[in-house]
Formats: sequence, C-alpha cells, structure tokens
Amino acid sequence: MPLAPPRGEVLQGTLDLIVLKTLDALGPLHGYGIAQRVQQVSEDLLKLNQGTLYPGLLRLEQRGWITSKWGISDNNRKAKYYSLTRSGRKQLATETATWERMAGVISRLLGAEGA
Amino acid sequence: MSRMRTFASRLLGLFRKRTGDANLDAELRAHLDALINENICRGMSVEEARFAARREFGGIEQAKEAYREQRGLPFVDTLLQDLRFAFRIFAKKPGFTTVAIATLALGIGANTAIFSVVHSVLLQSLPYPAADRLTVVWSTFSNEGRGPASGPELVYLRQRSRLFEEFGGIWAQSGALTGEGEPEHVRLGLVTPNFLSMLATKTQLGRFLLPEEQGTFSAKSIILSDALWRHRFGANPHLIGQSIRLNGHPVTVVGVLPPNFKIIFPEGSSVPPQMDAFVPFSSNLAQDAPDQNYIRVIGRLRKGATVPKAQAELDSIAAQLRSEFTVFSEQALGLQVVPLHGDVVRNVRPALLTLFGGVSLVLLIACANVANLLLSRANERRKEITLRTAVGAARGRVIRQLLTESILLSCFGGAAALVLGSWAMNLLWSLRPAGMESLATTALSLPVFGFTLALSLISGILFGLAPALGTTSLNLVESLKQSGRSLATARQRPRNILVTAEVALGFVLLAGAGLLLQTLASLLRVDPGFNSQHVMTVRLSASGVKYQTPEANVHFFRELQKNLSANNGIESVGVISHLPFDDTLPNWYSYYWREDAPKTEQNTVMADHRSSLPGYFQSLGAQFIAGRDFGAIDVEENRPIVIVDDNVASRTWPNSSAIGKKLSVENGNFVRDTVEVIGVVKHIQSHSLTDQVRGQIYLLYPRAVRAHMALTVKSSIDSQSLVSLIRGEVTKLDKDMPVYGILPMNDYVEKARRSARFTSTLAGIMAAIAVLLACTGIYSVASYSVLQRTGEIGVRMALGAKPAEIFAMIMRQSMLPVLVGVGVGLALSLGLTPLLSHLLFGVRPSDPLTIAAAGILLFGIGMLACYLPARRATQLDPIAALRYE
Repeated sequence: MPLAPPRGEVLQGTLDLIVLKTLDALGPLHGYGIAQRVQQVSEDLLKLNQGTLYPGLLRLEQRGWITSKWGISDNNRKAKYYSLTRSGRKQLATETATWERMAGVISRLLGAEGA
Repeated sequence: MSRMRTFASRLLGLFRKRTGDANLDAELRAHLDALINENICRGMSVEEARFAARREFGGIEQAKEAYREQRGLPFVDTLLQDLRFAFRIFAKKPGFTTVAIATLALGIGANTAIFSVVHSVLLQSLPYPAADRLTVVWSTFSNEGRGPASGPELVYLRQRSRLFEEFGGIWAQSGALTGEGEPEHVRLGLVTPNFLSMLATKTQLGRFLLPEEQGTFSAKSIILSDALWRHRFGANPHLIGQSIRLNGHPVTVVGVLPPNFKIIFPEGSSVPPQMDAFVPFSSNLAQDAPDQNYIRVIGRLRKGATVPKAQAELDSIAAQLRSEFTVFSEQALGLQVVPLHGDVVRNVRPALLTLFGGVSLVLLIACANVANLLLSRANERRKEITLRTAVGAARGRVIRQLLTESILLSCFGGAAALVLGSWAMNLLWSLRPAGMESLATTALSLPVFGFTLALSLISGILFGLAPALGTTSLNLVESLKQSGRSLATARQRPRNILVTAEVALGFVLLAGAGLLLQTLASLLRVDPGFNSQHVMTVRLSASGVKYQTPEANVHFFRELQKNLSANNGIESVGVISHLPFDDTLPNWYSYYWREDAPKTEQNTVMADHRSSLPGYFQSLGAQFIAGRDFGAIDVEENRPIVIVDDNVASRTWPNSSAIGKKLSVENGNFVRDTVEVIGVVKHIQSHSLTDQVRGQIYLLYPRAVRAHMALTVKSSIDSQSLVSLIRGEVTKLDKDMPVYGILPMNDYVEKARRSARFTSTLAGIMAAIAVLLACTGIYSVASYSVLQRTGEIGVRMALGAKPAEIFAMIMRQSMLPVLVGVGVGLALSLGLTPLLSHLLFGVRPSDPLTIAAAGILLFGIGMLACYLPARRATQLDPIAALRYE
C-alpha cells in the first residue's frame, strides 16, 4: 500500500521534504514540473519513476500540507497545480530543522571517525 | 490532527471514485505529453519520444493503482466490493434469502425481546441515588422467616451501626382525603423523615420531611405524589404551605414528589409501588412496644462497606438486642441484610434466566438451519469459487467474501429482528408477572440495540464459518473435474450433524415447555380453598371524624351488609380486612398460642390474622370442616369467639377437635385477647396458589375494628350494575365514603397465576419456533439429499428397485440423524430439566410422560418432514433421473 520506493532508495520522508521544499521555492507547480525539479536538484542521483510521485502528492494533500487546483500550463494545456499551504509551510520548517540536526549528527560522526 | 484529516479525506475518497479516476487520468496524460514534448524538442522521433517518456514515467497502471489505494480505504473498498457482490447474489435467490432472513429474524428477535426484559429487570440498577448501596434490612424470627421491624429495633440499629450511612422505614396504610370535593381514598405511606430523601434526589415542589416532624402524634405535614397532586389538586403550583384534610384532620402540604417517583420493594413486603401521599410516623419510634413489628426498613451502606460485612455487623447488633430485650430473645430475633435490587428480582430471576437460556437454544437452532441452507448453496457455488481460486484468489480472500455474505445476511436478519422483537416486547410486557410490575418498562434502548447487533454479527460468523471453511478447502483439480455427485455423499455429513443438533436442542425446549405448561395446568386445577366465580370485591375505608368509635365502624358495615343483601340477585355479602392475593395492604400476622400454653410456647408460632363479619365464608364458598360461621347475635353481643383454619387447628390441637377450645390472639392494635374457637374452615390460599405460608385466624370484627375493609359480594348481577348498586348503597349510608379497588375476585386469582402463565407461554412459543425450525431443517436436508442422489436413484430403479424400497431407503437415511438427535435430546433433557424444578408445580422435572411426548412429537415431525422428499424420490422417472445432471 505505501508509495513504492523510488529508484535510489529515496525514503518517503525525504521525497516529502523535497516536494515541500520545491513548492516553497518555486511556488505552484504541476506534477511534471515537480518531477523535473526533483531530478534537476538531485543531479539525477535520485532517479525516480515519475508516476510514483502522484500517490505521494495525494498523501501530502490528504494531510493538508499542499492543495491542488486545475489551471492552464505554459503550453496552454489543462494541468493540476499544487501549492504549499500554511500548515505545509510549518511542516517544512520542522522537517528542515529535524533534517539539519540529523545531518549535523551524521557529519560529526563521520568526521570524527575519519580523523 | 493530520491523521484525522487523512482519514476523513480518504473516507471522502471512497465516494469520489469516478471523478477522481477521470481527474487522475487527465493529470497523468498531461504529464506524459509534457515528457513526450520535451523528448521531441531534444530531437527524438515521435515514436522514440513516446517510448522514452513511458520509461521515465514508469508503470502507468501501477501508479494509478498506488494512487487509488492512497485515495480510499482499501479495507472498506474490499468490503464494499464484497457487499455489492453479496447483494447481487441475494437478489438472484430471493427464496433462499427470504427464508434465511426470516429464520434469523425469529431467532434473533426472540433473543432481543427476552434480553430487553433481562436488561430492564436484572441488569439495570433501580432508579434511586446510589442504588447499588441500598439494602433491605429484615427481622427474622425463630419460625417465621423474615418480617418487618419494630420501632425500638430501628432506633437501636441507627445508634449501633457503623457500616450503614442511614436507615429509613415505611409502613403502608390507607387514608381518606376529605374536605373539598369528592372524598378520596389514598394509599398513605407512614415514613421516617429520611425515607423519601433516600429514594429521590429532590422533590418537584417544596421539600422533604424534617426530622422534627416525626412523633407529633397526629401528622401535621404531608408530601404528595405527582399523580395525586395532578388529579386532585390540578397541579396547582401554589399548593405548598396550604392545608388539606387527611382523615378529617388538617395537614400542611410541604412537598410534591417528582413524576417518575415510585417505590420498588420486594414482592410480599406489603409496600405497593404507587403510593399517593406520605406523612411522618406519628409516634416516637423509640417508645413503641418492641414486639410491634410493622416498619419495613431500608439501609444505605457506607461507601466500601460490603453486604457480608454489614451482615456480620447486624448479627452482633441482633445479639445485643436479644440480650437487652426479653421479647427479642423469646422471638429469637435475627437481622438480615439483602441488596434491594437483588431482593426485588429474587422471584423473577430464575424464570428470566431460564427463558434466556431457552431463547439462546432457539437462536442456535436458527443458526443451524441457516448454516444448512448455506451448505446447500455452497455446493451450488462450488464452481464459482473454484474458478476464483483458479484465477488466483487466496483462500483467505474467498473466506472473507463468504463471511461478508453471511454477516450481511445476519444483519438483515437482525434488522428484521428489531421489528419482530419490539412487537414481542409489548407481548412480554403485557404478560409480565407481579415481581416485575414495579420495574422499568422494557424498551428498544441502546444496550438492547447493541445486544441485537452483537448477536447478529456473532450468528453471522457462527453459521457462516463452517460452510465457508468447507467450501474453500476443496481440492481444485478434483472439483473442476467432478461435477459433484461423489462429493455430495461426503458433504452430507455436516448437514446430518446439524439436523441432529437441531433435533436435540428442540427436544430440550419441547420438554421444558411441556413441564412448564403442565405447571400452569396444575395451577389452573389447584383449589385455592374458595370459589372466585361471580364474586366482586370493593374496598372501603371507614376512617376520619365520623368513625372515632368502634361502634360507628361496626354499625356502618353491618347496615351496608343488610342493605346490600336486600337487593335482588345478591347472594351473600362478606366483610374482610384482607382479600386473598391482595398485596396492597400490609399483611397482618402475629403470634398466637392456646390459652394454657406455657411461657416457652408463647411467641413461637404466627398466623395471618383477619377481621371479618358474618357472610365472608359464604360469599367465597369456603368449606367449614367443623363448627359454624359467625352469626348476627355474635356481632351484637361482641362475643369472644374466633374462627381458625385447618392449619392452626391441627397444629394447636393435633389430637382433638378445636371447637370450644380457647386461643390467645392479637386484636390488631397490639392488644391480646382470649377467644373461643367456634369454627374450623379449610385454609384459603392468600399469598400464593401453591404454598400455605401461615395458618389463618379470623377475628370477629367488633373485637378487632379496622378502618380499611373489603366487601366480597357474591351475586348473579353483571358487574357494571353491581358496582353502581354498591356505590349507591354506600353513598346512602355515608356520602363521604370513597369506594375504590373495584376488582372481580377472579382477577386476584389470575394475578397469582401470572408468573406461571408468563414462563409457560414464553416457553411454549419458543418450543413452537424450535419445532418449526427443526421441521424445515429436516425437510431441507432430506429433499436436498434426494436431489443429490437423483442419478443414483435412477440407476437403482433401472435395475429393478421397487418404489417402496426407494421410499424406505430415503426414509431410513433421513431419519437416522433425527433419531440420533432424539437420543441426544433425551439425555440432555434429563440433565437439564432439574434446573427447572423451582419453577415447577404438580409435575416432576423428569416426568416420563412429558419427556416421552417430546420424543414422540419430534419423531413424528421428523417422519412428516422426510415423507414428502421420500415420496418424491419414488415418483422419479428413471430415464429422466439417469440423464439428470
């Protein structure tokens, strides 16, 4: 039932964080745009099946962190645009903090062992 | 919070499937198109671009599936899918569905109805504050069992007890409201001031009684019931503080009780549930004579105190009482504490539990029947299920689907059962025995609803699980290869076991119902010692200012007797203080002994005392064993004479005639009187049809004057004109005298049979349902087996088997499980019917006739149910049968 893990073993939480961050940085985006951005940012390190993005988007929407609205894309096509909500912004802040703490711990740990 | 939100959104997702799917399609298509466009821009051909886009995107269908799972609730989704399928299956087989639902409705509905009574009577606590700590405190005497307490006892209890928060007491009496308007008889409770506040949290108007209001010799304050306040005083909100007249004396209304207030006391305690008004005891209880036992005592335990601990404390208080008062040591006084609720339901509990047990057997039979239906359907559905398994359905998934079907079926049954059950509840309520009268009405309350729902789910699993497991354990290859004939014989066994179980359970119910019905028959035959036919009774209360002297009372009742008897059609008129089977007045019973009894034999044996005038025994057709009735001259001269029943006569003078002997009795005002026995009458059953609780002593009214009396009028006049005749004669003598309690004597006797009628009627209904279900069960199994064996029967016929042989073969085979069932049922009944013994009268629990009759009846019904299918087998056309597939 859970979202199938993307190629490169991206954790669900990580993907959530990336999506939230993407929407925070770029404003409302459609699924295709998010997928492009993810690949661009990750420098193709995170190769994901783009289809698996959609259940994840739905889950974020169900939690109330993002909302969606149908609109018209740059090339004049109907597309569904996702945008960050207030509680999504809050969630992004806490997740970012957690992630940074975590990363700090890991890098200290690795640094100490390397020395 | 976000979890709740997810759940809500998923729940919504369940219902937005179609638009959701369309939107998803559009969104994914847009994404793919964008990918393709980009690839074309990079210089790929259209074909290449499309292919690369697909690769980048991954599986479209997988993405959709994952999306759908995320959208709804997969468990509910599957459930809905199974339910839709089940509905379709049921709609396709309306006959099967109707029979199954009707069977379940009968089984569950009967349980719902009985449970509603069990819930309201046994499980619900009484409508009093801290009801679980309320107890009744009985005084026990050497020979007489339990009874009320005396004033000094109550005062002593209050002083010595540490485990009780408080004690209260009541004595039910009658009074008359006079003054403005029609005079009216009221049921009057004499109470300790705290009694009402122990049973109600607040008054509707005014206040409860105050401690200082007790012991003022004549009551000054009165509290009214809601009913009396409404119908006599028009619900006047300003009544508090006003003066009204009770028995000719002014009293001040200080409070009105809440509308739903009623007094719930154990049966036989002479405290009726609906009392009209309450006044404080007029005496200071401490100064009462210690052997005047009239107060019904309730006590509230302290928090944390248990009944056994309280009993231990009361035992030691009783010992102190015996050592301080000679009377109490002569009476061998003891004290007994019992929970109020337990004591109230003491008499109905065994009957209710028995019925509850019986009705669960009915449900088991119903489940067996439906399981049977499902089993035959399962054979038909084997191919479908095999196919499902073959294309990859896991066994658990198939079982889940089959169970969903059976639970859906039982929920339908449960819904129909609610309708049936609420109808049956009304029936139960109209039949309810005396012990349940004061309790809450049964209703379709939330717990009853929950019980029905739980029962539906449980029975759904019960009857669905076996067929589901059986059907899915099939060997795939075998069942695809074979069309079912050889399997049929093996499949017959569980069905036979179900038939055996049904017959055995039906046997138990039939035997139990037979015994209870015979009990009712014995009660209808039992001679109560009098003839209640054509006897009308009314109550009169000669109290108040006009009746201050005994002579006034005697004069009134004698004149009334004389005037009434002068009318055409009146055979005889009796006057008595206590009617048989009437529990609304406190019973009057007291010690008696022969005049020359030594001190040690006094205060040992009690009898019911009644006060009467000539004509009572004649009006009830009571039989004199020796001596004569009172006569007119006895009344005029106020002779010291008495009539006793055979019980008192033979106990007191076992070896000689009682006539002419002297007896010491108590005259009703706690004064002893020595009187000569002039007659011995056959015991008149007064408390129950089956037990002689005590002997009976009939005092001559002028020597034992009482205000509240009853008339027994034997006549050939129809009751309506008789009642107006009586009213007319009463008004002629005293226009202020209320006439009340108008009831044919037959009704009192019928009331005494109510409990037996209740249990036997219900047991009879259950047994009838059980037999009906068993019959259909046997029939369906027999006809199914004929259907399964059609081919085989054809072969046999073709080979020369005669119809009679085929008939015998089918009968033998179908009756075998029935016979085994009868055997098992016989053993079960012999084991279980002794549990009924305390409900039976005039029949032994192992009555061979009843049990044999149950066996023969079931056997006959089995034969009947097998006959049709067996006959059908003999009429098969061999050619058609051989081709049958």
